[in-house]
Amino acid sequence: MSAFAHPVTVWIVGATLAVVATAALVIGGLSLAGRGTPAFRRELWLRLGSWCVLLPLMIGPVLAGREWTILAVTLLGLLCYREYARATGLFRERVLSAVVVLGILFVNFAALDHWYGFFVALWPLTVSLLAVASIPQDRPEGYIQRVGLAVLGYMLFGAGLAHLGYMANDPGYRPIVLLLLTAVALNDVAAFTCGKILGGPKLLPATSPNKTIAGALGAVVVTGSVVALIAHSLFGTTPMGGWFWLLLLGVLVSVAGQAGDLMLSSIKRDIGIKDMGVVLPGHGGILDRFNSLLLVSPAVFHFIGYFVGFGLDEPTRIFTQ
Amino acid sequence: MKSWEIKPARDLGLPLGQRLRSLARERGLVGLALNAAWRHTLRLYLAAAHRLEVEGRENLPPPPFVIIANHASHLDALTLAAALRGEAARAAHALAAGEVFFGKPAGAAFAAYAINALPVWRGRTQRSELKLLRERLLEDRLAYILFPEGTRSRDGTMAPFQPGLAMLVAGTPVPVVPCWIEGAHECWPPSQRWPRPGRLRLRIGKPLVFEDVAPDAEGRARIAQAARDAVVALRPPG
Repeated sequence: MSAFAHPVTVWIVGATLAVVATAALVIGGLSLAGRGTPAFRRELWLRLGSWCVLLPLMIGPVLAGREWTILAVTLLGLLCYREYARATGLFRERVLSAVVVLGILFVNFAALDHWYGFFVALWPLTVSLLAVASIPQDRPEGYIQRVGLAVLGYMLFGAGLAHLGYMANDPGYRPIVLLLLTAVALNDVAAFTCGKILGGPKLLPATSPNKTIAGALGAVVVTGSVVALIAHSLFGTTPMGGWFWLLLLGVLVSVAGQAGDLMLSSIKRDIGIKDMGVVLPGHGGILDRFNSLLLVSPAVFHFIGYFVGFGLDEPTRIFTQ
Repeated sequence: MKSWEIKPARDLGLPLGQRLRSLARERGLVGLALNAAWRHTLRLYLAAAHRLEVEGRENLPPPPFVIIANHASHLDALTLAAALRGEAARAAHALAAGEVFFGKPAGAAFAAYAINALPVWRGRTQRSELKLLRERLLEDRLAYILFPEGTRSRDGTMAPFQPGLAMLVAGTPVPVVPCWIEGAHECWPPSQRWPRPGRLRLRIGKPLVFEDVAPDAEGRARIAQAARDAVVALRPPG
């Protein structure tokens, strides 16, 4: 099937390119007019530059095919786990870290193999292995903390995020995955913009001091509507085609996206750091950019799975049978 | 109940270039794997090309410790690194001349990821850097490979010990393990670009502890002399 077979794929890729081009023109205009401080303009250029590198890395594998999508999700999971492990100190527990990395590799292999039974089984199996892996070290002090950190790490960057790759087993995955990738970015922008325009009380000031209730609700309205409209083109003729369910999907994307953001903020506040890394200029770490996807992926997978499913008519156990 | 203790990587937030050259650098699974691969290759090379013999391995304490030796060749650090086993091998960090090993990005990456070296800049080491090295030795339970002469001897004779060693261990329970390396200067003297095959012998002596020695000038001089005497005592007669 052609990468651009579905019109929604064309719309999303076209809209993304248009947004980047418009942003470049606006920032170029600001620079030419000398508006804003040089530091602010530099920050804007850095962010745009990061997006210009990130977007092909995000959209390219999705357009390239199933295997590339799953490979990209695997790499994303490993890179996110690396940042998490370094920030929490879990990387010093090399046995547990190795088990989490193996779990991430296996769960993405299960997605690549289109073996849902193994994909699901890896959650209890990996958690069980994490629970026992450090026992032979005969070092009970700190056991609950290190196992707790490892289980959370596997849940977020392995079992959870791998749902995004698993979607690629459906022949029509491209518009759905692209919709999620762009919707979580739109969600961030909508929350920021609505918060700035409407102001009002803070959402959770101790967790994330810049977020407002108006911003969060505005993001739910904007992202929820946009996702529902686009999802109508994808699922209009399916049991999920009613507007109530489509709007619920949109709200789910927005709420889960914001919850992922707040979850990372909680982790950073607890540790006492501002960013999870320095890989992406203007953004921070990879986790700072992709936190919203962590909870959206499994939530949307199972929501759509309840009504429609992913790749139900496609060959399964491609490599293991 | 034990309270939660979250301890991020010491080098968290540093860009890659700075991270490679940072004394706070801590490695993860990739660094461990690369260093292990390097160590095993090194052991094969030293066994095949130099028939390395190690005597006194039973004297090695569990980390933390500082292992020191006479220094007349680049083979010295490789020999000490290859002699360590298990947790000590994984905890080993060579304190290496920054100018030589960390000057260029590729060299710095190799020194950091394969050798697991930490840079010491001649004449530019600040007190805060020594404090960090001392802190990491104790808290992270590391094993430092250190050559207290400060540089490779050009003719194979030993120079006086610099005070850096004493600043790391004075007043601490961290043992100093003296060693003597025989044959490295003949195989790879500083005047040659590459090593040539030849026999290498490493004698590991009993550890010294300087917990009761004050970290003042007099204490530092005492430690430097005692450590040098212990290394010299391991030199074979003749």
